[in-house]
Amino acid sequence: MLRKGLMLKNKKEMLRRHTVDAMFMHWFNTIFWAVLLATGVGLIDNPALQPLGMWWVRTMQAVFGDGAALLEFHITAGAVWSLGFLVYGTVRFKRITFPFVKELLAFSPRTDIAWLVKKPLSMTIGPKMMQRLGLNPTIPEQGFYNVGQKVFGITAFFGGIVIAVTGWIMTFSQQDLTGQSTVQWAILIHFLTAGLVFAGLLVHIYMAAIAKGMRPAFISMFTGYVPADYAASHHKHWFDSLKNSHKINTLENGSKN
Amino acid sequence: MSAKYAMVIDSARCFNCRACVISCQLENGVLPEHSRNWVKVNPMETLFGMHFQPGNCMHCDDPTCVEACPTGATYKDPADGVVKVNKDLCIGCGSCIPACPYGARYRHPVSKIVDKCDYCEARRNQGRLPACVETCPTQARVFGDLNDPDSRVSTLLKQEKTVRIVNQKTDTDPVMYYVEKTAPMDWTVPAKAPLPIQLWRYGAGPLVKALVGMTGLGVLAMLGRQLFVKEVPTHPLGSDAEKGTDAEK
Repeated sequence: MLRKGLMLKNKKEMLRRHTVDAMFMHWFNTIFWAVLLATGVGLIDNPALQPLGMWWVRTMQAVFGDGAALLEFHITAGAVWSLGFLVYGTVRFKRITFPFVKELLAFSPRTDIAWLVKKPLSMTIGPKMMQRLGLNPTIPEQGFYNVGQKVFGITAFFGGIVIAVTGWIMTFSQQDLTGQSTVQWAILIHFLTAGLVFAGLLVHIYMAAIAKGMRPAFISMFTGYVPADYAASHHKHWFDSLKNSHKINTLENGSKN
Repeated sequence: MSAKYAMVIDSARCFNCRACVISCQLENGVLPEHSRNWVKVNPMETLFGMHFQPGNCMHCDDPTCVEACPTGATYKDPADGVVKVNKDLCIGCGSCIPACPYGARYRHPVSKIVDKCDYCEARRNQGRLPACVETCPTQARVFGDLNDPDSRVSTLLKQEKTVRIVNQKTDTDPVMYYVEKTAPMDWTVPAKAPLPIQLWRYGAGPLVKALVGMTGLGVLAMLGRQLFVKEVPTHPLGSDAEKGTDAEK
């Protein structure tokens, strides 16, 4: 929620980026993902299927007492997580959920593909090497989310739904709501989807909490605000749209409004 | 020393009274349409009568049912060598059922979890024999500890020639012995874990590991560059340009 007609006196003026409830749900998701991932991997008590190693299974079983307690905890935590999002997503559908998904799915193929190619190269081999390879290192401007965030957002949002649905199928397997074959597929899809989201999560955590220059974005997940200059440099189309809709006035165009 | 319980069966003594099947059902709450054990019938064995072959879970040393279970609910207990189901861990997916070449597992219609022979663990804990063994009027079923050289099973294995029923495509190393010979021998099926479990083992598992590994390497590459390489700014505006980096969330 932007203060209408906010006058930017300097580059450090703050712009509202996240609502309080969205920030709360982000950290709610963070805590539950950490707990559910740790316990979920710990439940794969089969050396042929266990991705991390049987030491993790034994550690989790030791922490929770035994495998049955671990399973019960995972199911309970998963229920709280999925129902929490179901209630939040429904209650805030118009204000948060729908605009969030709409924003995630708003692609600009030409610049987005260029961004997806250039950004990882820029951050690994660097702009100089890109120039040597004949690539223009300039990164295309982005909107409220950059396309990297969108790809991860889509993976996490829809992946989360898949994980929740397959989790419920497994939870209710003993009620015979579905056939055993459905439960077997649910186990596979639950694992595969959690793995895919986790792969994206590694990049998300690095980009959000470790990468240089991203401190404003990280802090905004606690305060809800980003500096105007950060918005202008990292999310130019968003910044411009705020300017154009007169939700903010910069010193340059402030006198006109 | 841990035990290794086994059964030695003299199928020539069996006359298909099925007392073992009924006593097992009563002891273990098995509903009439299912059974933890069986008596196979071989009508062509002799001119004078049919040959009957008692059996149950073979508590294999290389159990494919254990391999197929994603949660570790099915396991071979190292304390007694018995393949068991931890009911609190079983989520009723049924992956283990087609993974048994002997058809020794079924899904209990009431509890909805997998049920199978555990050599009557509750009775054994009271110092009693499994129900099927105790009930058999001809003592066709002999039960005991292979690690005890004085047990009846150890003695029989030393004294008698025995055979095991092994599926030719899936040798699970069964721990059940038949005295001299038995029939039928061709009723087993190849052990087959359901497709989702196979896809997990040979497809999704390696795929997720590769993906997470590659993503992790990518993150390490970015971190290495951040720590050791001086950046050239690419953003025209803002704090990153001032700080000389172009990172984005």
